[in-house]
Amino acid sequence: MSAEKATGAALKVEGLTAGYGAGSQVLHGLDLTVASGEICAVLGPNGAGKTTLLRALSGVVRGRGTAELDGTSLLGRAPEEVARRGVAHVPEGRGTFTALSVEDNLRVGAYIRRDTAGVTAALDRVYGYFPVLAERRRQTAGSLSGGEQQMLAIGRALMLAPRLLLLDEPSLGLSPIITRELFRIVKAINKEERTTVVVVEQNAHLALETASRAHVLEAGRFVLSGGSAQIRADGQVAQAYLGYGI
Amino acid sequence: MKSTSETAERETATEAVPAATARVLPPWARWVLLALAAAAVLYAPFYFAPFRVFQLTLVLVYAVVLLGLNLLVGYSGQISLGHGAFFAVGAYGTAILMRDGDIPYLLTLPIAAAVTFVLGLAFGVPALRLRGLYLALVTLSMAIFLPPLLKRFPELTGGSQGLSVEQPASPAWTGLAEDQWLYYVSLAVAVVAFVLVRNLLRSRAGRALLAVRENEAAAEVMGVRPSFYKTLAFAWSAMLAGVGGAVSTWVIGYVAPDSFTVVLSINLLAGLVIGGLASLSGAVYGAFFVMFVSSVAQDISGAAPGIASGLLIIAVMLIAPTGVAGLVRRLTAAARRRLAKE
Repeated sequence: MSAEKATGAALKVEGLTAGYGAGSQVLHGLDLTVASGEICAVLGPNGAGKTTLLRALSGVVRGRGTAELDGTSLLGRAPEEVARRGVAHVPEGRGTFTALSVEDNLRVGAYIRRDTAGVTAALDRVYGYFPVLAERRRQTAGSLSGGEQQMLAIGRALMLAPRLLLLDEPSLGLSPIITRELFRIVKAINKEERTTVVVVEQNAHLALETASRAHVLEAGRFVLSGGSAQIRADGQVAQAYLGYGI
Repeated sequence: MKSTSETAERETATEAVPAATARVLPPWARWVLLALAAAAVLYAPFYFAPFRVFQLTLVLVYAVVLLGLNLLVGYSGQISLGHGAFFAVGAYGTAILMRDGDIPYLLTLPIAAAVTFVLGLAFGVPALRLRGLYLALVTLSMAIFLPPLLKRFPELTGGSQGLSVEQPASPAWTGLAEDQWLYYVSLAVAVVAFVLVRNLLRSRAGRALLAVRENEAAAEVMGVRPSFYKTLAFAWSAMLAGVGGAVSTWVIGYVAPDSFTVVLSINLLAGLVIGGLASLSGAVYGAFFVMFVSSVAQDISGAAPGIASGLLIIAVMLIAPTGVAGLVRRLTAAARRRLAKE
């Protein structure tokens, strides 16, 4: 965390199961390998378990099996301990602290960091990626548009200088133009910071354009995995699982 | 209904984070206004009759209590219908120390603060499992159960008769009357409390507290432990109520179980909502409400003061759903716009 720029880390998940209490298991043994500095997309219909996968990785939901970030186990730890190990989770629905100013939102993102200079540098970097946030730094976050709030959510996650960034449906409720812009910035962040990214999406088209690898999740199991180009080429198969063409 | 509550939430929150507002007044004018207000507050005990000074001193005491309640209700999003109990513990603890202990009265304040802080922690932990109405009920039971408990141990608490203590005398060098001295002591306590809370809210801990109120799940993945801050908010809140209680004993010189009934707890919460949730100035407005509502209600209707005060609360909430602090903010914003236009 003391390093100015954290670099990405490799994620290795094996036999991951998770759920919400007895009788409502959602994930039925997932295997997933994401190389350091890679963008990986997880696609799938509603209720497939995409959000639960991210929640299990960030410790919000208890997961079983193994999930290692550069060899360090992530499972069985409280969310703040996972965050300390460099995992930033942008939750579904953005999780904006509406009453706080934009800048205070970002500062909460750096909550576990104690290096003042590093936090200031991280703020500058976030404002570099999202100039609109710099313009609105003193406004309350609730006054931002949906797209700006999603930018704020991603910026807030960057404040951790994460090695692994988990994005839950960044396109939700946003116009195609804004979504495209967001994905462009995610790609830039991935390139600049070398952050490993796992993005969960229903918008398969954009996600496949951005990610190098993709997995299709259905009913808690991966039914299709491969390079993005390959999955896109295999449109028929994807359509069968996603219910729409790519 | 939903939209009003949403706007209310937004408005109440603005004071926690200074938003970028166009400053129409030049900085020196703001300082002049501030100096005038400070002068008025400092001059008050020479202007008013001793009984009014006594009442204003109690307003300062209630302001400290409401500041604490605001930390819990306004800033951390929990609820307490039993804050009168923490207030009573501070007041009784101070009275007992002043009766039995041979210690300077000023020393009773940090002791009362420490005791109520620990008590708040003890209540904060079970409160983690409770929300909304359930938490309201549990804290309410605390307020209901305290007065009989105080009566139950007469050798310690003086039973139903309560305890009288010798009030702190004003030091000779000041040349002040007793009521004036107590006013200034209470003012000093209140100012320190407000400055501390204001700094707390702007700190890393304060941001975390607000983040937990706003979105617990999102705060958690950022490494903020919601349980830690919710418990701490309870402890801070109880501590400020205890500090208010300690000062109230100095000011009144008397404690009795009937001063700490459940009605006090409910008046405190009502005062806070009327003053303005999640607003520092709201605690001051609310303190005036807590101090004067019963006498105003008595004036309106001697036969049924309860009904009068209930109607008063409803009327204020209709006119100013974000409390007096929200109303003041709206009015000053409107005045600013008008000034800016000219």
